[in-house]
Amino acid sequence: MPFIVNYNVAMVNVIKAINRMVEKGLIDDYAIGGGIAAMFYIEPFLTYDVDIFILIEQGKKGRIILLSPVYNYLNGRGYPWKGEHIIIEGIPVQFIPADELETEAVRNARKILFKGIATKIVKPEYLIAILLKAGRKKDLHKIEKILEEAKVDRKKLKEILAKYDLKEEIKRQGLL
Amino acid sequence: MKHKEKKKYIVTGEDMEKIRRIVFCGKEKFHKDQAKLPFEEKIKLLVELQKIASGIRPSENRVVWKV
Repeated sequence: MPFIVNYNVAMVNVIKAINRMVEKGLIDDYAIGGGIAAMFYIEPFLTYDVDIFILIEQGKKGRIILLSPVYNYLNGRGYPWKGEHIIIEGIPVQFIPADELETEAVRNARKILFKGIATKIVKPEYLIAILLKAGRKKDLHKIEKILEEAKVDRKKLKEILAKYDLKEEIKRQGLL
Repeated sequence: MKHKEKKKYIVTGEDMEKIRRIVFCGKEKFHKDQAKLPFEEKIKLLVELQKIASGIRPSENRVVWKV
């Protein structure tokens, strides 16, 4: 009898753990970004972690965001640290407090069901802008792939790029 | 029984370009089809990729997702 592995269980548990953090009010909202979000739109490629953009409003004064409650909660649930990641159900997860662009991306993220569990994924137009801002070679390559393989609302993309002063950069990179 | 002659394919010039176009369109279609796979299926493939990569060059920082 073949050994059947459900590869998606760990990912489902990661999403459940993050949803629980929203329910508990530790974070206000979130969306999956980075490589895993890119993979939602393009063909699978090698990556090792899950980037989560988080919005935290409570107790926020000025530009100071307190992440300790998030980390304490996860540590308390037995999820260990490894470098800059927290390992949830065997998957390295990075929580990134959202900047202005990422906040807009989280608020406009696409709602999906992963194995029946609700979660949010950054839309491709925002993902392109975020990747362009990061600007590493691998980010630019992902932008190329998204533009080739995904349905991208070009008008919306141009609006986002203009709003965040990225219009010139995308031209300079020869991507649009 | 009549001996069946093997077909020989010889391509030159324009035909070569046509064949190359067909091959490259095929590759492009393959990548686009892969992009359309369900997200759950892509995660499965990702773990397979991680296993292959770890088999080639194991690294402490590049873990295969535990399932």
